[in-house]
Amino acid sequence: MRMQLTQAVHACVVVSLFITLLPTVAHAQEVAEPVPEPAPASKDSAYDVAAGSELATYADNDHVFVVSPSIAGNVSKPASGWSVGANYLVDVVSAASVDIVSTASRRFIETRQAGGINGATQWGKLGVSANGNVSVEPDYGSYTGGASATYDLCDKNFTALLSYYHGYDIAGRHDTPWNVWNHQINTNGVKLGGTIILTRATYLAIVGDLIFEDGDTSKPYRYVPMFAPGTVVTKGESIANVNRDRLSARALEQLPTDRQRYALSARIGHRFSWATLRMDERLYTDAWGLKATTTDGRFIVTPTQRLEAGPHVRFHAQGPVDFWQRAYTMRTGLDFPALRTGDRELGPLVNLTGGATARVLMGPATNPRKFVLGIDANVTSTSYLDDIYLSQRTSEVIALVVEVAL
Amino acid sequence: MRANLVHNPRTILALALLGASFVASACTPVPPYQRGPLAHPTMKTSDPAGVGEAHARAIQEGAMGGGFEVGGGCGCN
Repeated sequence: MRMQLTQAVHACVVVSLFITLLPTVAHAQEVAEPVPEPAPASKDSAYDVAAGSELATYADNDHVFVVSPSIAGNVSKPASGWSVGANYLVDVVSAASVDIVSTASRRFIETRQAGGINGATQWGKLGVSANGNVSVEPDYGSYTGGASATYDLCDKNFTALLSYYHGYDIAGRHDTPWNVWNHQINTNGVKLGGTIILTRATYLAIVGDLIFEDGDTSKPYRYVPMFAPGTVVTKGESIANVNRDRLSARALEQLPTDRQRYALSARIGHRFSWATLRMDERLYTDAWGLKATTTDGRFIVTPTQRLEAGPHVRFHAQGPVDFWQRAYTMRTGLDFPALRTGDRELGPLVNLTGGATARVLMGPATNPRKFVLGIDANVTSTSYLDDIYLSQRTSEVIALVVEVAL
Repeated sequence: MRANLVHNPRTILALALLGASFVASACTPVPPYQRGPLAHPTMKTSDPAGVGEAHARAIQEGAMGGGFEVGGGCGCN
């Protein structure tokens, strides 16, 4: 029912948007003049001021629904090379997923608020930036600060990057004071890479990430069903069958209390005369034994000065963490496995995403980007390869975007 | 795993060679006046995903990292 309602809302929003935009696009095509590249942002002002907003919705066939409105603003002074910005978003989550139902819990609604500030400046070949972010929900807080430096080499044909961030998270439990129960997680991340200009229309960016997490990230509400040795539990086993076959004792999730993550990523961008191709590849491994590959491609066609649109595909495949089991067995005497999880994102899975993006540039001819309306729509099919309860999930993310340059 | 990656001399050598060749290949310069296509707004090196898409991705994938948000740029200015 909720999925149908969501789809109906999405359909209305999409139809409304395009009914609004069609005359503008038609008019834009009529008056489009052969300007080679988009004009830069307002040069008549010493400062550039830009603002944007996004309304994103997420829905899946596991009865999870999220609405995320967000705003962002940025002030920069191109002549001096500095900029400052801020952003804020709210997530409203309504969920009655199979994991919640399997623990005989009711649908929950929760709100998360997140905000961030950032600043950057350029001193000759050296660029420096810093940012701080806060995310708060009733039982979880996350605070992150970071800084990065870039350095131009070889007449700006190569730009090196080094960045660092520190994160502090604190997880609590509903209806339990923070000083009675909490888990604290400290994260340190280092990024090292660079961007190289290969040809007059092609760049390549490569970046390596080292991320070190220290703390217990186990979910305080996630119970893992236990089975007697020899019990056969098939992939995608239903809640009823699991409840019939499991032992009465259940254990809370327990993950290792530290994790080292490593990622090596490359992005290549090529500009044709009428379109842009972007391809990403990320290889990932971590100390828990999870290995993953992610490939992302976008092809943005720019047939006129007023329109940017095209398809998006993303493929993600991963293996399980070392301690992953579809069905954990418990020996007599409440002898639980020391490490145990029911988090599907730690198990083997394949994600395939297909979508599209469109931006209509509605500003004046001298600066079409002064006012931009856009939509991004993506559908992801996830195959869980070794899980109980769920073996497939389909989700959709639709985002409406407005960008204004003042 | 960490020890294997960080302390393996062959891994370090391979990464050093990769990095050196990466930098060296950059020094076949494309003059600034030829970089017009790189200045197109769709050629930004930052992640084009919006906050909603990025959040869904973070939840649905067990991997992380790879963002280019603070990286490089086309060097067009």
